[in-house]
Formats: sequence, C-alpha cells, structure tokens
Amino acid sequence: MKEKEPMSKKALLVNILVTVSIFVIATLLAIAFFHYSVNSTSVAIIYILAVMLVARYTNGYVPGIVASFLGVICVNYVFTYPFMHLNFSIDGYPVTFVAMAVISGLTSMLTTQFKRQNEILNEQEKYLMEAEKETMRANLLRAVSHDLRTPLTGIIGMADTYLADSGWLAEEEKTYMVKSISEDANWLLNMVENLLSVTRIRVGETRVNTSPEPLEEVVSEAVQRLRKRLVQAKVRVQVPEEFLMVPMDAVLIEQVIINLLENAVYHSGSEQIDLYVTREEEAVAFHIRDYGKGIAPERLETIFDGGGTGGNQSGDSHRGMGIGLSICKTIVNAHEGTIWVRNWKQGAEFIFTLPLREDKGNGKQTDHFGH
Amino acid sequence: MANKQTILVIEDEKNIGNYIETILLSNEYKVLRSMNGVTGLSLCTSHRPEVVLLDLGLPDIDGMEVLKRIREFSNLPVIVISARTQEREKVEALDGGADDYITKPFGAEELLARIRTALRHRLHAGRIQSQEPLYSRDGLVIDFERRLVTLQGNAIHLTQIEYKLVSLLARNAGKVLTYDFILKEIWGPYADTDNQILRVNMANIRRKLESNPAEPHFIFTEIGVGYRMLE
Repeated sequence: MKEKEPMSKKALLVNILVTVSIFVIATLLAIAFFHYSVNSTSVAIIYILAVMLVARYTNGYVPGIVASFLGVICVNYVFTYPFMHLNFSIDGYPVTFVAMAVISGLTSMLTTQFKRQNEILNEQEKYLMEAEKETMRANLLRAVSHDLRTPLTGIIGMADTYLADSGWLAEEEKTYMVKSISEDANWLLNMVENLLSVTRIRVGETRVNTSPEPLEEVVSEAVQRLRKRLVQAKVRVQVPEEFLMVPMDAVLIEQVIINLLENAVYHSGSEQIDLYVTREEEAVAFHIRDYGKGIAPERLETIFDGGGTGGNQSGDSHRGMGIGLSICKTIVNAHEGTIWVRNWKQGAEFIFTLPLREDKGNGKQTDHFGH
Repeated sequence: MANKQTILVIEDEKNIGNYIETILLSNEYKVLRSMNGVTGLSLCTSHRPEVVLLDLGLPDIDGMEVLKRIREFSNLPVIVISARTQEREKVEALDGGADDYITKPFGAEELLARIRTALRHRLHAGRIQSQEPLYSRDGLVIDFERRLVTLQGNAIHLTQIEYKLVSLLARNAGKVLTYDFILKEIWGPYADTDNQILRVNMANIRRKLESNPAEPHFIFTEIGVGYRMLE
C-alpha cells in the first residue's frame, strides 16, 4: 500500500533522524562496552540491535539496509584493529563482517516485513468492520423499505378507492378508510422519526452526545407525543418521587419510549399499559409493561435483532415491530445501557436501563440547546 | 365580514399550504399566501396581516432572514413552522423574535390554538405579557395582584423564585418560553446560561402543582426548547 508512494520529504527526514539518533546511542553504548572489555563481538551485537530498532521505527526497507552497512563499517572502523581505519582483509575479518552484514540485513528485513504484515492485518480488520457496518445498514434499509411499502400500499389504495367512489360507498365505510389512512400515515411518521434518530447516532459513531435531563420531563414529553398520535392509548405513568437528572440524548430516549409503548399498543392486545421508572443503584430502569398475550418464547432471544423473523406472528396487524425494536437496542446500547424483555403470566415487560453516572469524557458537554 | 382577521402563510409546499388554508378559511380567517420569502415580505408590508405563519425552509431566502426583516419594521406575531428534531432551529427562531412555533406534522386544533394565542398576546400592547388580573384554568388560580396561587381552593406555598416562574408562564399561557428567555426574566441578564437551576425549580413546582409529575396538566415541557403553560 504505502511502498508505491514516493517517500515524502518529512518521512525521509524522520527516517534519517531516527536512524542517526539510534546509531549515536548505539555507538556511545558500544564505546562504553569496549572501554571495559575489549570485545568486538558484544559491540557487533549492539549494532545488530540498533539495526533492528532502526527497522522497527522507520518506514520501508531502505533505512534498515543502510543501517546494517553502516553498522558493519562502524565496527570495522572504530572497534577492530587497526582502529580508525577501514580494513576488511585481516585474517578472519571478512567472515565476521559478512556474517554481521547478513544477520543485520536479515533482521532488518524481517522486522520491516513483520511490521508491514501487521499493517495489512489492521487494514483488513478495519475493512471487515466497515463491511459489517455496511451489511447492517443494507439490512436495515431492506427491512425499512419493506415495512414502509406495506402501509403505503394501504394508504394509496384507500385514497384511490375513496377518490374513485361514485356514490356506492357508505358513509361509515368512508370514515373507516380515512381513519385507516390516518393511522397508517401516523405509523409511517414514527418510522421516519426512527430513521432520523439512527442518523443521529451514526454521525457520531456508536456514542451519543448526552446531557443531563430531568427524567420526568423526558417521560412526560414522550407520553404526550404518543397520545397526540394514538389517542386510544391507555398509559399509566409513574416516575420516582425523587428528582433525577439522567445523562442522555433526550430525543433518542423519547424515541425508545415511544417505540416500546407503540409496540405494546399495537401488538400486545392489552388495554392497559404501564410505564414506570425505578431507580437502581447506578442506573434508572424504564419498565414498559402490558397485560396482553406476551411474546412468543422462541422470539424472546432475537426480538431486538430486527428483521430476520420473516414477519410477525401476531397476525393482527401488518406493522412489523422489527425495526423499531432494533433501533431501541441501538440507542440504548449507545447510551451504555441494556435492554431486555421478559414474559409474565399475563403480558410482557420491556425493560431498559440508563447509567446514572456522567461519563468522564462527556463531563463537560454542554446541553445540545445551549451555547 | 370586513373585520375578518388576515393571516399570511409563507410556505413553499403547495399541499401543506392548501391544508393550512383550508383550516383557516373554515375558521373565518382571511388567508394570504406566498410560496417564497420575497413575496411574503412584500405582502407583509402591503397588507399588514394580523399573524404570519412562516416556514423556515424557503426556496429563495432563509426563513430566519425573513423573520429578521419582518422584525425590522413590525411587532406582528410570527409563528414559525418547523420540522421536528431541530430543537436548535426552534430556539434560534424564538430567540430571534418569533412568537411561537408549530412542528410538522400538526393537527388543525393545534394550529388554531397557536393562532388564537398569538392574536391574544398581540392585543396586549406591551412586550408579550397579558394584563389580566387572574389566571384560572381547571382549578388552578393565580392572582397576580395578591400574588396568591390556589389549587382547587387550597393555597399553594411557592418560594419567591417559583412564584415568579409560574406567573411568568401563566401570563404567557399557551406560548412556549425558551430556557434563555425565562432565565433572563427571572435571574436577570447576567444569569448563568446553564439551565440546570431552572429545571430543578420547575421540578419543584411540578411537585406542588401537578398530581402526577410524569403527566403534567398545567405546565408542559418541550425538551431542548422550553416550557409552555396550559392556555
């Protein structure tokens, strides 16, 4: 990847600097050693080490190879007889120096190669992660377009029928049609808001911008917005008496609450739904409890993974709940909370938690509406 | 029929414009329409409407710019139409002189309520405040002269700051007040821009006025923007 590019001036300078400084240190060390014990072998080893370090901390093969030659010359010039002269011809020397050149050359090449391979591995890993994300996005998109098309078909069909009517539709039939149109359109609206919230997460990678928000305000606004859309929803709400500020992205958490409540309204077949918040030691837990038919046991594990189940078994509605729930999970996880579901004798309970402590990294975050 | 109130709708989406017009016409308002900012501004000067409904995303000039130019010559109520999830945009519009905002998609009831509120506040020549001596809704009575708050006939004890907050919201009932506006009104112009203190006070008020703080009846939260009191 990088070897094809011509080395930039800066990189060259860095390479030279690293090489030179490692060599200076090595030479000083070698002099010290040589001073105590006149032994050129340990000196050679010091230089081999230096060559290895050079190969490790510079880019490309060149510095390593240059360093190995430099090492050989240094040893020959400074530390072997005749001192301060280059002489390779004395008996036994050629073998030593060739060996040293080969060893240091090989080490430098090995080190460089090793480094390269590491880089390639890293890059591949990054690429794989990127690809995984891409698949996730594609899956989501597929699921969404499927989920969007169904209510849209209903809306278009009913609107066309209404328009084509030449007097044979009864008044209550018309009312029913317009009602369904409005219902489907409202559901679509929530879906669009879900998708918007996903983009809000993706922009800042997997973490979200949190600011401390009063728990009760978030809960009450979420319920209010749900009621505006689903007038028939019967929700009982309860929050702790104690005033709690919870670090979160309020828009996203509201979306989670709305999704879970809407889910309960549409899918559980329960009249009454309870939303209550409890304070745990280091977290707050939001409970969304219905008294309907509960979740099919085989779906408990995978319910938050979205799509995958090939339509919902409930049969009472064409509105899938896959996307909404997988978005809930994404949002809660991005807050470092957890989400799960359990069945009761009657009905199901969705629970998600948000940590109470402010993250150190996020401590100084200003409110998103602030300055 | 000469005294119908005129509403100028500056909105480039034809369908939404039609929808608003239908609602307004069936509620005895006169409607002027403009598909862009420039025409909107000139209609505003030539016809002097009672209320302006302004969409922020216009094809020619930015909605905020239209708002700014209207404010250069007039105090007339401007209600901004905005898309959800853009709290910042709402706050900027409100702090930039808009009287209120309404979020897409909105129902007829909501739109009419906003317009009524805007018209009512316009009648009081002062800055924004109503001069009525009493606020009385669903058993909550605030007597501004005697500085008394009662709920179903029982006196509610509020601290100085809490009373100031409640009465500020009540005098502007139906209108959303931004955090910044409230902070400046209650704690003065040099107040910290941190709204934590405001929200703690609101939580206390909620515990005194509302039977269930999670389902408020009198004071509603618009997170990221501010508070609105039941009209």
